[in-house]
Amino acid sequence: MEREIILKAQNVSKHFGGLAAVNEVSMDIFRGEILGLIGPNGAGKTTFVNVITGMLPITGGRVFFKDRDITGWPAYKIGRTGIARTFQIVKPFRGMTVRENVAVGAMFGHNGHKHSTKTALKKADEVLDFVGMGHLKERHADELTLPYLKRLELAKALAMEPELLFLDEVMAGLNPKEIESAMELVKRVNQQGITILVIEHVMKAIAGITDRVFVLNFGAELAQGTPEEVLNHPQVIKAYLGEKFVERQKRKQTMRDA
Amino acid sequence: MNYELGQGLVNVLLLTGTLTLVAVGFSIVWGILNIINIAHGAFIMVGAYVTYWLFTLWGIDPFLSIPISMVLLFIVGYIVQRYLINYVIRAPLLVTFLITFALEIVIINLATVFWKGDFRSVTTAYSGAGFSIGEIQIPYVRLAAFVIALLLTGLLHVYMTYTKQGNAIRATGMDVDAARLQGVKIAHTYALTFALGTALAGAAGSLISVSFPISPTMGGLYTLRAFVICVLGGLGSIPAVIAGSLVFAFIEVFSGVYTPGLKEAIALLVMVLVLIVRPTGIAGKAFYH
Amino acid sequence: MKILGLEKFFSGRKGWLWGLFGLFMLALAVLPLFASGFWLRTLTLIFLLAAMAEGWNYIGGYTGYAAFGNVAFFGIGAYGTALAMLRLHFSFFPALLVGVAAAMLFAIVIGLPVLRLKGHYFAIATVALATAVGEVADYWTDFTGGSAGLTLPFFDPIEYSGQFFYYISFLLVIFGLWLTYFVMKGKMGYSWVAVREDEDAAKMMGINTTWAKVSAFALSALMAGAAGAIYGYWNTFVLPEEVFKIDYTLQMILSTVLGGPGTILGPFIGAFLYYILITLLVFFFHVGAFHETILGVIIILVMVFTPQGLMDFLSGKKKLTLSSLLENIRTHKV
Repeated sequence: MEREIILKAQNVSKHFGGLAAVNEVSMDIFRGEILGLIGPNGAGKTTFVNVITGMLPITGGRVFFKDRDITGWPAYKIGRTGIARTFQIVKPFRGMTVRENVAVGAMFGHNGHKHSTKTALKKADEVLDFVGMGHLKERHADELTLPYLKRLELAKALAMEPELLFLDEVMAGLNPKEIESAMELVKRVNQQGITILVIEHVMKAIAGITDRVFVLNFGAELAQGTPEEVLNHPQVIKAYLGEKFVERQKRKQTMRDA
Repeated sequence: MNYELGQGLVNVLLLTGTLTLVAVGFSIVWGILNIINIAHGAFIMVGAYVTYWLFTLWGIDPFLSIPISMVLLFIVGYIVQRYLINYVIRAPLLVTFLITFALEIVIINLATVFWKGDFRSVTTAYSGAGFSIGEIQIPYVRLAAFVIALLLTGLLHVYMTYTKQGNAIRATGMDVDAARLQGVKIAHTYALTFALGTALAGAAGSLISVSFPISPTMGGLYTLRAFVICVLGGLGSIPAVIAGSLVFAFIEVFSGVYTPGLKEAIALLVMVLVLIVRPTGIAGKAFYH
Repeated sequence: MKILGLEKFFSGRKGWLWGLFGLFMLALAVLPLFASGFWLRTLTLIFLLAAMAEGWNYIGGYTGYAAFGNVAFFGIGAYGTALAMLRLHFSFFPALLVGVAAAMLFAIVIGLPVLRLKGHYFAIATVALATAVGEVADYWTDFTGGSAGLTLPFFDPIEYSGQFFYYISFLLVIFGLWLTYFVMKGKMGYSWVAVREDEDAAKMMGINTTWAKVSAFALSALMAGAAGAIYGYWNTFVLPEEVFKIDYTLQMILSTVLGGPGTILGPFIGAFLYYILITLLVFFFHVGAFHETILGVIIILVMVFTPQGLMDFLSGKKKLTLSSLLENIRTHKV
């Protein structure tokens, strides 16, 4: 079956001075999937998302969203066209309540033109109930703990009613139990028909929820495939976990064999 | 060579010296403490008055009063930073900006009340004297001011590069926490940095008083000039200040020739244009973040 | 609606505080029937300051851009109105619209490039522009009268002049409060606060941040421009060094900070606080000549001890204790 490509990145590059943070990366994201984006620290994952979403000017390549060329669009236009994202370092609007934070997404996002502030606040309530923060609506954003701040990021993005959602390390810094419930939530979001790209460091999370995984290393594609394929790929193990880990694994293997 | 052009170039060079001294103190305070010291120009004004009064009351030669105004302003600067700004240094920008702004208007107001608002000048026996190369005039006092300005800037460079305290200041500017771990006393180092800035402002004021008329409100313009110079040259090094001063002097002298009343407005507009077109300055680091 | 910042004043004891505020406004509305001369003049000055502060609050309080050149809008409003009255022989109200339009246009043209700057760079660029505009007004003698100034006709009938300027300034303040309420409960208000709290996140959530910032800047120019227009006509004289005085910028910022930046009533109440404070000090210490020193000392004390304004104490939200005063120092010292 021919699957619909919702986002197509063609040879996308981002240079900072002489340094190529992202180098000629091509990626297809299919409608309805959860795609994992992994790679060691400094591999260029966040930079890649920043370039796609218009937060950073692109150096080279093209980006298509639903066959429309969105290369070089300003970030707010990309947000309105149906792409939402969360930030690795949470960015709540601290002077607003949780509800107002989320309402901003509804007001200015994909269907923002259809929302008045009133309907946007109603939408915010729905989204907050969905992510399990209904009881915190009237709290100030700066009173939240990290797991809830991460969840607020997600709620703000969801309120934009996106078709494609980038999640930048929404599970980093959470404990195993919190990760569990976050994974659950991501799956539920996906079931609503939203395509998701998860940038993750937590391997377990990636393997548990993604259909496909894309590996970046030194700003370039290293591998892509199903989670099992990718996680057992020797190059990936080496890049991701370092030479020492590979040796240790080998030693363990030989010890066990003996 | 065209006379006007030749005289203009000489003026650019002489002005560069003074402007470097005006801007260098402002630049280190900004670079190390991340404070825009709006009161910088007011400290320059105080330096100018120190020289004026020492000359008028006791006949002390203006050039000899430079160390006195430097020491005096060093003490003032140290106290201001140690016992005022240090307490709010990590507050949002509006706070430190407004505080130095308030200091400026306090200093100017006090100067106006005690010393009157009118223009004064330091006129020595050698004030009008000078020599000429062809038709180009070079007053002695301005040449001397140029030499002293560059000398002091050079001394600052030596201090920052070769002394322990200078290194502590630079380390603090790069990474406060690392510097603290290395045993640098941050509160003292901040106060020292600010005091160096005001001492240099004092020296600049003394030098300005021998060539130009002075008044309590003379400072604001120098603060803006210092800022423009930092923008043009970029933050972070003494050569950058010199480069910025040279560019600024060039703009000011040559725009001044053709449109007298507007030379400040033109320089300021140039700065805004530079900020907009090239937010990294002509040389130096990015401004954002 | 936390975004309005109303709860800062009326949380908990809503009823009687609103009543008190209503009574206060009513008293202001009927005051000219009883008082005259000195009191009308003083209150007119406070109203004009409050109007400017309300305007500064849009860009500085709600949008979070430390604008230090708003006096330029005041001056342009005054000059635009004066020139329209003198050169085009407009009557005052159409002339006021010309002045306000000029100030807003300037804010948009300047704002588009300058609002791309952040932090120190934005602050000083606005100082520089205000200085430059003042210099241009001084230099462009043919058009502005230069340092000789422009002389305007007196308000006619002159015996009602005091009342006229009182009421028109009062209306401007009320208009400012309404405008704040209207904007802040709409999408534009949300976009301003979002820009203040996190510009990148705002952008990514579909907010055209350039438009948000420029609109805040232009509306703050509207308020300052209108205040300038009224001031010029009231004063019957417009002079560059008077209407472009940087002190006005400081006063509007200080008023906003005293009352609480990013709140609907903060600037209005702050203008009164500021005026009362400075009048008391001048009165008790007989220090007329040190007016600016007092302004400066107040700014320093407020910035060191209560950078979030006095309202938290006055409304009983925070207790006025030594430790609450030292809180700012504790969090922000070296």
